[in-house]
This record gives sequence, structure tokens and C-alpha cells, in this order.
Amino acid sequence: MTETESWANVNLRQVGRPLARTDAPGKAAGKTRYAGDYTMPNMLHAKVLRSPEASALLRRIDVSKARALPGVACVLTAADLPDRKASTDIPGQTGKKKLATDQQVLVKERVRYHGEPLALVAAETQAIAEQAAELIDFELEPLPGVYDPFKAMRPGAPVVTAPDNVVGEHKVRKGDIEKGFAEADEIIENTFRTQFIEHAFLEPEVGLAWIDENDVINIRVATQVIEHFRPIAEAVGVPHNKVRILGALVGGGFGGKEDVTVEIYLALLAQATGRPVRLAYTREDSMFGHGKRHPFVITHRTGFTKDGRITAVKVTITADSGAYVFLSPYVLLYATVAAPGPYRVDNVHVDAVAAATNNMFTSAFRGFGAAQACVAHEAQMDEAAKALGIDRMELRRRNFIRTGDKLVTGHPIESAVWADECMTKAWEALGERTPDAGPVKTGRGVATYQQSYGRITWLHDTSEAWVGVEVDGSVVVRSGVTDIGAGQVSALGQIAAELLGVGLDDVTIYNSDSAVTPLAGTTTATRGLYMTGNAVRLAAEAIRGRFLARAAREFGVEPGEVDLAESKAFVTDRPDKSMAFKALVALCASEGVHRSELVMFRAPFTGQIDPETGQGRVHPDYAYGAQAVEVAVDTETGEVTVLKSVGAHDVGQAINPDAVAGQIEGGAAMGQGYALSEELCYEEGRLTTPSFSEYLIPTAMDVPRYQSIILESRSGLGPFGAKGIGEPALTPVAPAIANAVADAIGVRVFDLPITPEKIVMALRRAEAAE
Amino acid sequence: MFAEFDLVMPGDLDEALDILAEAGGDGDAGILPLAGGTNLVVDLRARRIRADKLVGLGRIAALRGIERSNGRVTIGAGTTLSDILRDPGMVEAAPSLVDSARVFAGQMVRNTATVAGNVCCGSPAADTVPPLLSLDAEVTLAGKGGTRNVPLADFFLGYQEDERRPAELVTKIAWDAPKPKSANLFYKLARRKGDAITVVGVAVTVAVEAGKCTTARIALGAVAPVVKRAREAEALLEGEALTPELIEAAARQAAEDSSPIDDVRASADYRRHSVHALTRRLLSQAWAQVTEGG
Amino acid sequence: MRETETITLEINGRRREIAAPPNQTLLETLREHGYFEVKSGCEKGDCGACAVLVDGEAVDSCLTLTGTLEGRAITTVAGLKRGEELHPLQAAFVKLGSIQCGYCTPGLIMAAQSLLNETPDPGEEDIRLALSGNLCRCTGYTKVFDAVQEAAQVLREEESGL
Ligand SMILES: Cc1cc2nc3c(=O)[nH]c(=O)nc-3n(C[C@H](O)[C@H](O)[C@H](O)COP(=O)(O)OP(=O)(O)OC[C@H]3O[C@@H](n4cnc5c(N)ncnc54)[C@H](O)[C@@H]3O)c2cc1C
Ligand code: FES
Ligand code: FES
Repeated sequence: MTETESWANVNLRQVGRPLARTDAPGKAAGKTRYAGDYTMPNMLHAKVLRSPEASALLRRIDVSKARALPGVACVLTAADLPDRKASTDIPGQTGKKKLATDQQVLVKERVRYHGEPLALVAAETQAIAEQAAELIDFELEPLPGVYDPFKAMRPGAPVVTAPDNVVGEHKVRKGDIEKGFAEADEIIENTFRTQFIEHAFLEPEVGLAWIDENDVINIRVATQVIEHFRPIAEAVGVPHNKVRILGALVGGGFGGKEDVTVEIYLALLAQATGRPVRLAYTREDSMFGHGKRHPFVITHRTGFTKDGRITAVKVTITADSGAYVFLSPYVLLYATVAAPGPYRVDNVHVDAVAAATNNMFTSAFRGFGAAQACVAHEAQMDEAAKALGIDRMELRRRNFIRTGDKLVTGHPIESAVWADECMTKAWEALGERTPDAGPVKTGRGVATYQQSYGRITWLHDTSEAWVGVEVDGSVVVRSGVTDIGAGQVSALGQIAAELLGVGLDDVTIYNSDSAVTPLAGTTTATRGLYMTGNAVRLAAEAIRGRFLARAAREFGVEPGEVDLAESKAFVTDRPDKSMAFKALVALCASEGVHRSELVMFRAPFTGQIDPETGQGRVHPDYAYGAQAVEVAVDTETGEVTVLKSVGAHDVGQAINPDAVAGQIEGGAAMGQGYALSEELCYEEGRLTTPSFSEYLIPTAMDVPRYQSIILESRSGLGPFGAKGIGEPALTPVAPAIANAVADAIGVRVFDLPITPEKIVMALRRAEAAE
Repeated sequence: MFAEFDLVMPGDLDEALDILAEAGGDGDAGILPLAGGTNLVVDLRARRIRADKLVGLGRIAALRGIERSNGRVTIGAGTTLSDILRDPGMVEAAPSLVDSARVFAGQMVRNTATVAGNVCCGSPAADTVPPLLSLDAEVTLAGKGGTRNVPLADFFLGYQEDERRPAELVTKIAWDAPKPKSANLFYKLARRKGDAITVVGVAVTVAVEAGKCTTARIALGAVAPVVKRAREAEALLEGEALTPELIEAAARQAAEDSSPIDDVRASADYRRHSVHALTRRLLSQAWAQVTEGG
Repeated sequence: MRETETITLEINGRRREIAAPPNQTLLETLREHGYFEVKSGCEKGDCGACAVLVDGEAVDSCLTLTGTLEGRAITTVAGLKRGEELHPLQAAFVKLGSIQCGYCTPGLIMAAQSLLNETPDPGEEDIRLALSGNLCRCTGYTKVFDAVQEAAQVLREEESGL
């Protein structure tokens, strides 16, 4: 492994250590309050009434019986709402509207998906609210719907989103595709399909709203994005400064709490009643209440020379965006950029389209389009290796992109590309191959990926943070960042502690309050550590600089000779020459040295890519890594057991290796569900799997002991050279499993999830073909 | 949210039977026994079932306990799935039932769910039923008028329909412990290994004497409106030495004996295929077990 | 309204008289009385986030009617703490990074405690079986297995030290 110099000129003492996270003890003891654990005196309980149809006209809705029920405070339908819409502008701080993505808050006339909200109820108890919802009398006239993105784009298809259901389109035209195919010795073409999946965070959406004495609508909510106060304010017709979002530690997000969920309903009900209102989704509400992962159909046509060099790649992608746009165009863009995989390809042609249907809407989900792209490009590499008679890893090695090579967008990759290192280490860690046992066949697979971290560069992403040192030497960090379980907050503490030379216990972090913590931007897009970590780093560095200067004067040396560690300031070469951090802070305080700093960190800003060629810059940077797995497939029943699963990722710099390993292991489990057991089934738009007994995420009985390997190139744009791990941990897992299953049984299942039944059918087809 | 209902917790069996017989002599659909509640509470919440009153069985001492005497195994209706796993004698007294308990739900459900509740819940996917059928278990029903024993094989009448009258309780389930030269196995095929609804469940019993199969039981779960025995397949085996060809024929017959449906978990076609594959596998394993060293 | 009965429960070592309607689940009762550490994830037995101990055995509180529990002892994750100290299970979860979003943690710890009450020296298979009713979306369970094993060892050592 290449030894790289420490990115910052700091001798790392805290960063890189597996410290117990600051949020862990409270969670273990049952002390942590999640958004659903807050109540208020005089609080009402809310319920959302949802459409049982996927495509219909709301002919009539009569809420008189519900309103008359004793204990009901308020029932709202579209008729009671001002004619404002919920904008689903890309979340965050850009404030610039990118697309016509407005959505009705409650159904006015047209129902576009199963579960679309028809009415809101607030009542004295949850039971009364539910009873009132049942008393609402409504009439839906079924309309012809469209449930397949290909059909949605045909002339004459029912229009879900005007004018033609196409809600997103991206193209790449790089090099000369015809010439590339002409140079190929072998051309391989395959089509891969992925399914609708659910985030399945354990904490269903929940929030509590109240209006304070300044007419500010306060909403305590489980969210990834407190910056949604803006679209919420617009939807309910108040200025931006009259909505305050208070987060709480979030019980899982994975992209599913990235869009607005319960906030607008809560704000409307609080406005209508003047009372605090709580809305807690049931699991079933949650299945209906947030966007899903887009199903994709991806066709790869790839040209190879005899010795395995890629000469051309042509990819077509069709995504089901469901009934509303949400983040579909962006998800599609990520998939477009990731389409060929972490390989150098000079001749690329990508055509990607997302179409509206009357299925559940689709939006952000860990991996954000790049995960679907990976399912296809990694299966395609294995199919190619088989056709060319080249070892699967060798074929990848011959094509990996290298630092300085141009991505499909024509922009060169600037950081380290350790895809090969990661792949090799992950594969080695599989150890000895488990032998076959009768009809149970063992197989192995590997997958590599390229996943962006940080948001699209023309969204002009920024993050603000404030760091301050109290007169007693204790440290405060203020950042709007939301913590969705990955240790986002604790990592900030570790960075501040590192730079100020104190312990993690000495740092208190206030986060996720749009009124009082500097806006840090979203906890999405694997940007939390990169953006907010840098903001905290810059703020802490500024204070550190002032403290070092003051200490240097005290010691009679240059500031560069002083360091901070173990709650002391000392001269680097003469540790005996030292003073307590506390004493230094007191000194600074008495002299009016500024002990706090508010900074804004800015990601690279660019213009948009060329819409005809896709050339330009899309992301700040990319992460690379690999997953290797070993599976056992029962060829008689089709059951798959994952025996070993190793994720190896170059994270740049691990701030907390235990937290990074946790992400890798959790991603491995989520990807395993994606590959094998998870699927939201829609029949004519109607969800038939609305609970955890039908929607099957892996349990403790289904998983192997996951292994994680952390590589650190220190080449990333994050603090101390960090890249990111939140999304990358998931991305290569499903294709690695798909490749392992194909290796075990000799035939490929091209559609996820790879159920026992599909395996049995694939084997049967293969047998019949022989 | 639940509709409203009353809850009573009788202290003994007679009291419970009195309450069940309350409205209308022969029981009332609105008064339901509550055991672990792992079916009933879920169904009440989803409003699949309506009840005026629940009769909690948790305080009735007479329903507790596992007994083994003279080769007869008797479990009280209060016996939970965890009780089955905890009892060290069960591995011999009911190997297939232990197999099923291990793949039954998750710990918390196993700690409260009863075997009797599983039998009474009427699900064709109830996991303890194929094992109990493969053991020729018998159900004891008690009502105001007295008790009666019904072979489990005659207990299920049709989808969600059984021999139990509304005012009766199942008080115990009993079977003969497997003979020394016999094997009794269960396998659950599901979409996930932990806590999942069965796609196909197969239990088999094979007993041998002098190289011939004396008793064969094949019980199939989740492939018909009720859990059922594949009697024609069983008939092929009894009196014979189980050759691979015979096992294959019986497995094929078992698949034909089943009448599965398509649902979100699997197609009928795959279910039938799996009955075939699993029956063949379990019979082969069972035969190998009973003939080994003998 | 059906008659609301007063039930005596011992919750985390304290005797409490609690009025509960017959159709109220233990999950609802506990949260109504401020035991917010008991989490709701599905309310139908599928996720285990609501697990608590009843007389030392883990149950899904969302499937348990409060009215069936007269005189029983309930323990939530907050009741495991030993004064200011974390219980060895809680401490192991913190130390080994077995907690991410933490929403599943109270249930997982109660399921693990229930296992350790009966099986002080569990193998990995025992642990998997004991935790199979607890869904966790964040961790992939590996670090959870480690924490249960480590806590089991600490508890065994405590036991033999007595
Ligand atoms: C998350 C989850 C997972 C599950 N997994 C499985 C699984 O893997 N396999 C499986 O087979 N089942 C499973 N079940 C279903 C359920 O747990 C079982 O059917 C269980 O055995 C039911 O027993 P119980 O004691 O809880 O019955 P209850 O719910 O109390 O009762 C069930 C029915 O039987 C009646 N009844 C109960 N006891 C008696 C009696 N003594 N006499 C007369 N009638 C009686 C009740 O009135 C009711 O109609 C699962 C349920 C849940 C919630
Ligand atoms: S809330 Fe009780 S098991 Fe999910
Ligand atoms: S830590 Fe988030 S669900 Fe387990």
C-alpha cells in the first residue's frame, strides 16, 4: 500500500481511533429521546387517510361524520387547503428550483398512487383519530393507470406527469462509439433488472409540531434534512423564518427520510388547531409514506478486444419514477455517471430515461442510482469474463480507471483509485473455498464500484459549523447536521477533539436545529463527513491557530513548535514545557482572544454538464472499493446461504474505524437483502407487501459474520483526506452476490431479487437448453 | 388500532369453559380463547377478527406442563415453542417438532406462542402441524359437556375450519414418542432463514423393521388449504425397503398430492417442485438414519 | 368504553398500579407511562423493537395485552442499568460499536438478556436464534453477536467472582 503523507500537518491522536461513539451510551441505556418520544401538554394525535386506489378520480369526499365524532379537533381535505403545493426541490440550501416537481399536499381530484393522502385528521387520542379517518366517506372513480415505464412512454399512455411522462433524461456521448465497436473482437449484450425496494429503517416517520409565541411553527421530526423548513414554509404559506425544524437522533434514514415526510401535514394541522400535534406513522403508513428505490432496466452492450480491453460501452437505462418526480432526475444522473463502472472507457454512449407511472414514487436510497448501475456493470463484467475466457478479476484489472484518467463525463479523477487493491484484499480475505456438498454448490463473486461522495457540483453545496471553547476548557460544536445512525455527530466531536487536543468526552455537540445550529446541509449523498467534517475542521483549526499563537508567546517559541494534546499545550520537542489546556483557555479568555469560530465550507462549484454529451463535472470526487462473497446454493430448492462476505473500501481516512466497519457491515446486510430477499410488489400499482412479514430484510439467522477491510489513501476531499463510506458500503454488495450465485450454478438470474424460485427456474431452463 | 373488547383471566379450566359457554350455550363467536396472542392480537388489530371478549388462558395451571410416561408424550395447551426447545427430552420425544421450533418466528414470539394456538389458528403454514401429523398426534378437546380426543389427522376440516366447537378448548396434545428404529424430520422452506412465513414445510416419519419400512408419514405444510398428509405417497413406502427409485416415486406422488396456490411468497409450480425435492431429501435422510449400523 | 381495570405491575423493580383498558398492549401502556425506551417499529411482532422482559423472559410488548400481566415483573432496557453503571450488555454494545441508529438496541439487548438468563455461555448459533426476532437495518448484526458474547463472559466472571 502506498504510504501517503498525513493530509493535514497534524499528528493524529484521536482521528483514526475506534472510540466509543458519543451517542452510544444514551442509546444503550434507553435515555436517548427520538423524535417520537416527545410529547406536549394538550397535544393532539394525527392520522393520514390514504387512497386505496393507485389511479382514480376523487369524485366526492365527505368528512362530516368524522368532524362530528367527539374528540375530533380537525379534519382537513384539499378543499380546506390554500392552493399551494409541496415543492420537491432538491433538498438543501440552494434555494433554486430545478424542476417542475410540485406535488399536491392532499388529493384534489386525481389520485396518482396507492396510498396518496386524501385527508388529515387530528384528535384527542390516537384511537379517535383512527376512528375518524374510517368515518370519512369518499368515492373514487378508477382511472386507467400505467404501471410500467416503457408503456408510460408509448404514445397514448395515460398521462401521470404532463406532457409525456418523461421526468428525467440524461445522455453521455464520449469518444466514437462506432469506432469502438468496430475495434472489438467480441461484443456482449445483456439486460439486467432491479426491483422496488424499501429503506426499512426501524423508526417509522414521526414528528411533533407546535406554534410558539412568535408564530413560529416548530416541528420536531425524524429527518435527514432540516433545511426542508423552506419548502415546508412555502407549502403552508409562511415566511421561511417562521418554520423551525428540530431534529433528534434518527432511527435510520438510508435516503428514506431525505424528502419531506410528515412535516407539512403537521404544520397544517397545528395551524388549523393552534394546538401541538403529533403524527406517528405505523409501519404500514411508512411503507406508503416515503419514496422507494427505483427499479431499473439496464442494457449493456460492451465491446472487448481478445485480451479483454474494453473498446466501447453502450448503456441504456430506464427507471420507474412512480407517480411523482421527487429526486428521480438526480438518481438517474448518478446512474448515468456510474454506468460503465470504475473502468476506463474511451468510447461511451449512455441513454438514460426516467418515466412516471402510477406506481409508488421513487426517490433517494443509499447508493442513489449508482447502486443499480453497479448491479448491471459488475454482472456484465463477469459475463464478459466468461465469454472471453479471462479470469474475472484479471479482466477488471485490465480495465480499471486510474488517477488522472477521464470519467465518462470527461472530467479527470483526481484522487486515488484503489479499486484493485480493495478487490484483491477482499478476495484474499475469503480464504479457503468451502467445498460443494451434494446438491449444495459453492460459488464466489466479486464486485467493484465507483460511487460519488458529495453533492452535484452545480448545486453549489456548502456547510456551516461553529466551534467554541468555554472558559473552563470544555468544547462546544454547533452544526445543523442530522445524525441518522452512522455516527455523524460523534465524528465531528472527534475532529474537534483532535484539533484542540482534548478528549472526546470534553466535547458537546448540538446538532440538527434549524433555528440555532448553523446550517450544515443534508445528511445525504455521503456528504456529511466530507462537508460538515471539513467545516468543523476549519472552525477548530482557526481556534487552534489562535491558541497556538498565544501558547507560543507564553513558551517563548514559534507557534509551529507548539502542539495541543491530552488537554495540554506543549512545545513539541520539549514536552516538559507545557501548560494545561484549561489554563491556556483561561488566559485567552482574560485577554479577549476569540475562542469560537463560524465557518462555511464550500464544495467545488461548477456549471452544469452539457445536456447533449454529458461532458463536464458532476461530483466533487469518487470513492472506490469492492465486495467479495462466497455463497452456497441449494440447487434443488434454490435457497442461497451467504457464507462469507467481505467489504474492502478506500475511505481515504477513517475518522472512527469502528464506525466505518459498522457502515461496511450494515451495507453488506442491506445489499444482501437487495440481492436475495427484498422486494416491494405492486400489482397494478397496489402494494401487496406492506409489512415486515412480507418485506423481508435479513435477520440474525441470515447473515454471515461480515468482514470489513479499511484502506486509507488519504487522498479524499474530506477532513484529513477522508472520502466517505455511507453509500459505498452498500453499492457493490448485491452484484457480488449475484456473481457468486452465477458462479455456483453456472447460469445467471438477470433480475433481482434472486429468489429460490428464480434459481430453480433458471436451472430448469438451462437443463432444457442442453 | 383495536376495536374494543373485554378481557377475562379465569383461574381454572372450569371457569374458562363456563365463560366460553356463556352466550348461547354452545359458545359464541364473539368470545375467543387467548393463548399467547401472537395470532389473535395481530388479527384483532388488523380487524380480520372481531371479538367481544377474550378469555385469557395464561393463569390456568391445568394447561401447563409436559409429561412423558410409558412412551406417551403429552403437552399442555399452554406449552410454548420455547418450552419445546428448552425441554431436553424433546429431541427424542419429538425430533421434528424441535426442528420446527428452531425455525419458528423469533425468540419473543416463541416465548409466548403456544403449540395449541398454532394448531388452532387454522393456518396451512402453521409450522408445528406437519411435525405433529407426522407423529400421529391426538388433540384433547374439553367443553362443558366433557372431553374428547380427536386424532390431529381428522382435526382439520377445511380452510380455517376445524373440529373444535367454539365453546371448547384444546387442553392437551399427545403422541407416542418415536420408536427406537425410526426417524422423524422436518424442513421449512421460506424466503428467509429467520422469522419467515413458510413457503413449503415437510415432515416425515420413517420406521423400520427387518429392513422394511413399517410406518411412513409424510405431512405437507403450505401447499393445500390445510396441512395434510400425503397418504398415497405414504402407502407407496410402507412394507418396502426404501430404494432411491421408490423414494423418488413417493416424492413425486407427494407433489401430486399437494394443491398449492400462487401468492406473494411463491408460485404453485415452485411449491410443488419443492415438495418433491424436500420429500425426496427427507425420506433419503430418514432412511439413511434408520438403516445406519442396522 | 369497556371497563378499564387497574393492574399491579412491577416495572423495573418498582411496583405500579396502572389503569389499562382491556384492549391496551403492554407497548402502549409502557409508553403512556413514560417508558419511551420501549420502541415501536411495527406493532405486529415482526421487528422486536418493543421487546421487554416479563419475569425474565423476552416478549414483544406490542403483542402482549397488559390485562394479562397482573402481578408480573416487567424489565425495560432502562431497568437493566445498575445505578449509574451500564449493565455489561449495555457496556459491550457501546464498546464494540454494536449501536448505530440505536432504534433496535433496546429490543436487541432485552432479547440478549433473556437468552443469557437461561444460557450463560451461548454459542454463536444460540445468539442468532435468540435474536432472530429482532430486526436491525444498520449494523448487519456482526458487532451485535460480538457484544452478546463479550457481555456473557463478563457476566460469567461476575457470577463466579461472587
Ligand atoms: C412475528 C410472528 C412470527 C410468526 N412466525 C410463525 C412461524 O414461523 N410459524 C408459525 O407456524 N406461526 C408463526 N406465527 C404465528 C403464531 O405465532 C403461531 O400460530 C402461534 O403458535 C399461535 O399461538 P398463540 O399461543 O399465540 O395463539 P393465539 O394467538 O393466542 O391464538 C390463536 C388462535 O387459536 C385459538 N386458541 C389458542 N389457544 C387455544 C386453545 N387452547 N383452545 C382453543 N383455541 C385456542 C385462539 O382463539 C385463536 O383463534 C408468527 C406470528 C408472528 C406475530
Ligand atoms: S413493535 Fe413489537 S415487534 Fe415490532
Ligand atoms: S442500529 Fe439502527 S436498526 Fe439497529
